[in-house]
Amino acid sequence: MRNRKLLFIIAAVLMLTLVFVGCAKEQPSEQPQPQQPVEQPQQPASNFDADKDITVVARDAASGTRGAFHEIMEIIQKEGDTTVDKLVVGALEFDGTDKVITAVEQDKYGIGYISLGSVSERIKAIEVNSVEPTIDNVKSGAYSVARPFLLVTKGTESDLVKDFLNFTESIEGQKIVNDRNFISAVDSPKEYTGSGLSGTIKVAGSTSVAPLMEKLQEEYNKLNPDVKFEMQANGSSQGINAAIDGSYDIGMSSRELKDEEAAQLNRHVLAIDGIAVIVNNENPTDDLAAEDITAIYTGEKTAWFEIE
Amino acid sequence: MQSTKANYSEKLMQAVFYLSALISIIAVIAICLFLLLRGIPAIGEIGIMEFILNEKWKPTDYPPSYGILSMIVGSTYVTAGAIAIGVPIGLMCAVFLAKFCPDTVYKIAKPAVNLLAGIPSIVYGFFGMEVIVPFLRENFGGNGFSILSSSIILGIMILPTIISISESSIRSVPLSYEEGSLGLGATKEETVFKIVLPAAKSGVFTSIILGIGRAVGETMAVVMVAGNAVMPLDKIKLLKPIRTLTTNIVTEMSYASGLHEESLIATGVVLFVFIIILNTALSLIKTRDAKN
Repeated sequence: MRNRKLLFIIAAVLMLTLVFVGCAKEQPSEQPQPQQPVEQPQQPASNFDADKDITVVARDAASGTRGAFHEIMEIIQKEGDTTVDKLVVGALEFDGTDKVITAVEQDKYGIGYISLGSVSERIKAIEVNSVEPTIDNVKSGAYSVARPFLLVTKGTESDLVKDFLNFTESIEGQKIVNDRNFISAVDSPKEYTGSGLSGTIKVAGSTSVAPLMEKLQEEYNKLNPDVKFEMQANGSSQGINAAIDGSYDIGMSSRELKDEEAAQLNRHVLAIDGIAVIVNNENPTDDLAAEDITAIYTGEKTAWFEIE
Repeated sequence: MQSTKANYSEKLMQAVFYLSALISIIAVIAICLFLLLRGIPAIGEIGIMEFILNEKWKPTDYPPSYGILSMIVGSTYVTAGAIAIGVPIGLMCAVFLAKFCPDTVYKIAKPAVNLLAGIPSIVYGFFGMEVIVPFLRENFGGNGFSILSSSIILGIMILPTIISISESSIRSVPLSYEEGSLGLGATKEETVFKIVLPAAKSGVFTSIILGIGRAVGETMAVVMVAGNAVMPLDKIKLLKPIRTLTTNIVTEMSYASGLHEESLIATGVVLFVFIIILNTALSLIKTRDAKN
């Protein structure tokens, strides 16, 4: 009988640990919070151990942001007619901006990259080559990490689609682009007046372009209430393919077209999107040289102290 | 007259049942066909050896390389880890619930276990990313996204499967076995572990295999805690990130195109083969059980 009681107690403890495993682990993360504000002003960044390995955070291989960032930062290297993505072994890969932000927010030694429009105070966007990632700097070309937002059509589009494309390149359309913190790429936009056309426009493609597109459609509808939109945000490549095979009128892309795609499509630059390099808020680094970012992402530099 | 009426309604219901069975079978066949028709050509184009036995996954390079060996190994490790964590805890819990648990505790414990099964996997993923990953990072080093974090999350996720099936199989062992053992002077612990548990063996194995099935196929939770790095085989470690077959599909599916997209469907074919092997093992156990 004693044995039985013992076994019962062991089993009960096991069950309890199981049930409370969540609460038990959350407690320690709650405790430091009230202490930190007291400690931090005295010794800023004292928690940051530069000897620690850098946690490199990247996007998945099919992401438009990754394609743009890796190409601009020369992480993708061309040797003869081969192209090799030299992303360091062990780099974390996530399939969304939100996951990249969460990973960098949590990890003091993390570094990641996201669309400039997605920067928030949860993480710190650093300067690249001492140039701040601001709209003005992207527009002037001083900030080098940027990519185009493209609208592509097959060239056989209806008057309605043409009218909508005119709207996106008009003063009214480009104002929305600027309002959303993207950079206008149209040199001298014209004024747009409603056309009174009706019909349906089908749009598919990049999830990065989609929120901007929605806003544009909303404003266009105010001027042309009889036009309906069908939109699917399913990624740049899908959008480009949908435009090529004609199943959608307009494809959205957040990457530059490949040669074989460009040959079949008309290309409209809707806006330019800057990519911000982000680190944890506790990281004392405010500025990285482009070569250092490349070195981190290709694994040549693996600890923060190696970066001057 | 009445008998013909009854006959008609019987016939009608028969047709309804028949149709229901047909729909589920059609669904399975349709999924198989989709996977094979879309996946097999891709495997053919890449080369089956190149696809399964190559550890280099570089779909955006030129020339691209589509090798999923690293993910096959990754899935195997993560699942093994989940089993190592989930099976002992689940089995002990099942024994406790079936044989040692007082009624009052059972009324709380049983619904708690069932609740565990009902939690959506994305919630497990959030819990893992916000709690387990930082915990591992602070206590074991590395960046926390690892085989271990995935194994812990999956270990918890397979608990309800293992507990409920093991528990019912333990309960279905005839009481006479137990009474005989106790009558011969064995203690209750001896009886449970040496008589009841061996008698419930096939149910326990079934629960483990279903647990493996769930662990191999789980996607949303793993994608948030595994880190999804494609590791060369010699660099795979317990505290290093890993990519599994399922997370390979889900991380890259949304943007992939061309052969890259088809190779992801082909990854699904390999996953499907895994599940077929598991189901075959399951039916083998069941037929052997039926013979006894």
